[in-house]
Amino acid sequence: MTPGTPHTVHRSKLDHMAERLDATPHLLRLGRLFNETVLIEIDQDEFYLTFEKGRVAEIKEGPSKKLPWRFALRAKGEALAKFWHPIPEPGFHDIFGLVKYGHGRIDGDILTLVKNLRYFKEFMALGRREESQ
Amino acid sequence: MTSSIEPITGRYIRLTVDGTPLRVYFEEAGRGRPVVCLHTAGADTRQWRFILNDEVFTSSHRFLAFDMPWHGKSLPPQGFETAEYLLTTGTYIETVLSFCNALGLEKPLLAGCSMGGRIALQLAALHPDRFAGFIAVEASDFQPAWYDIDWFHRPDAHGGEMGAALVSANIAPQAPPVERWNTQWMFMQSGPGVFRGDLSFYTKDDSLVGRLGMIDTRQTPVHIMCGEYDMTCTPEDARRTAEAIDGATLAIMKDLGHFPMSENPAAFRPYFQEALELMRHSHAELTHA
Repeated sequence: MTPGTPHTVHRSKLDHMAERLDATPHLLRLGRLFNETVLIEIDQDEFYLTFEKGRVAEIKEGPSKKLPWRFALRAKGEALAKFWHPIPEPGFHDIFGLVKYGHGRIDGDILTLVKNLRYFKEFMALGRREESQ
Repeated sequence: MTSSIEPITGRYIRLTVDGTPLRVYFEEAGRGRPVVCLHTAGADTRQWRFILNDEVFTSSHRFLAFDMPWHGKSLPPQGFETAEYLLTTGTYIETVLSFCNALGLEKPLLAGCSMGGRIALQLAALHPDRFAGFIAVEASDFQPAWYDIDWFHRPDAHGGEMGAALVSANIAPQAPPVERWNTQWMFMQSGPGVFRGDLSFYTKDDSLVGRLGMIDTRQTPVHIMCGEYDMTCTPEDARRTAEAIDGATLAIMKDLGHFPMSENPAAFRPYFQEALELMRHSHAELTHA
């Protein structure tokens, strides 16, 4: 992939979030039992994030019809950029907001997401922290 | 080191609702026109603590906020251990009326948030003679759930922690972190199955829809308030409801979500001031008739 394309920008964002996760002790504690693969699809780009004991152990890139995942968050890049704004506007302030207002979709085992909801929402919000710096 | 005792006092009252004896906790502050405050689903009276601690309000109003049975420091009824808690409109109405009766409150104002706002509107339709006015915060006619209420009562996960993580979606990003987390703490502390039982009332009973036309704001003013970040009762939901009640007033609140008095007291204050002011005015003035 060429540097600066939407794909590389998205990948770099997720890499930064994974790094920040490593440096966020309370999330590592909250996620200590979270060992799942989550598909994050931004525009058409698929990223399979494998979490192990609360850390992102690996990010595999799609497209793939074979990589298994527990739940997926699919959103437009534009919507996620608004979500990652330091003070997001109404409807873009939460992953469920993205879904409710039609900017994104959550599929798969929603119950696993809900059982780990605080952890996963705070992981997603790590991109916001980066944005504000 | 400084310390201070807040002006809020807490006491217990014995009520009987639908033949069931209950021990109910309530907090009180201020002198003047009585205002009964109702908390949201899955939480308790602490949501109103900033209003009860605010001299601007307590110098002219007597606030009484009670924990619904099963919530906060109010016990569940005898036999709860084998009961499934499912709040109903009828029981909720009887609980509010019993509380007002027991305290001898003559036509108080009723201020309720979320499910408390929903029941305030039900009372505006069904028992307007008992109140002087209604402040319905984050309130609307009806919204079905955008989540599965059964998520919040399971043997394999902590309903309170999941509930708190869910409702964080309804807190505006402008909320000071300390109050964002204090607001969520109440949900984390909620008893097993209580949030689910409240949500059953809130997301399944649509009986208010057909009753909005019964509300007569000439008799009792109705003011609806909604935070712009509330995605459970959205500004569109609140607007639709206000438009269906002749003479109701509406405030869409900036930088606030579903728990305005708790998540960001400073931002909520001027809106609540305006609400109490509106309760002084007649329908004719409000509608410029």
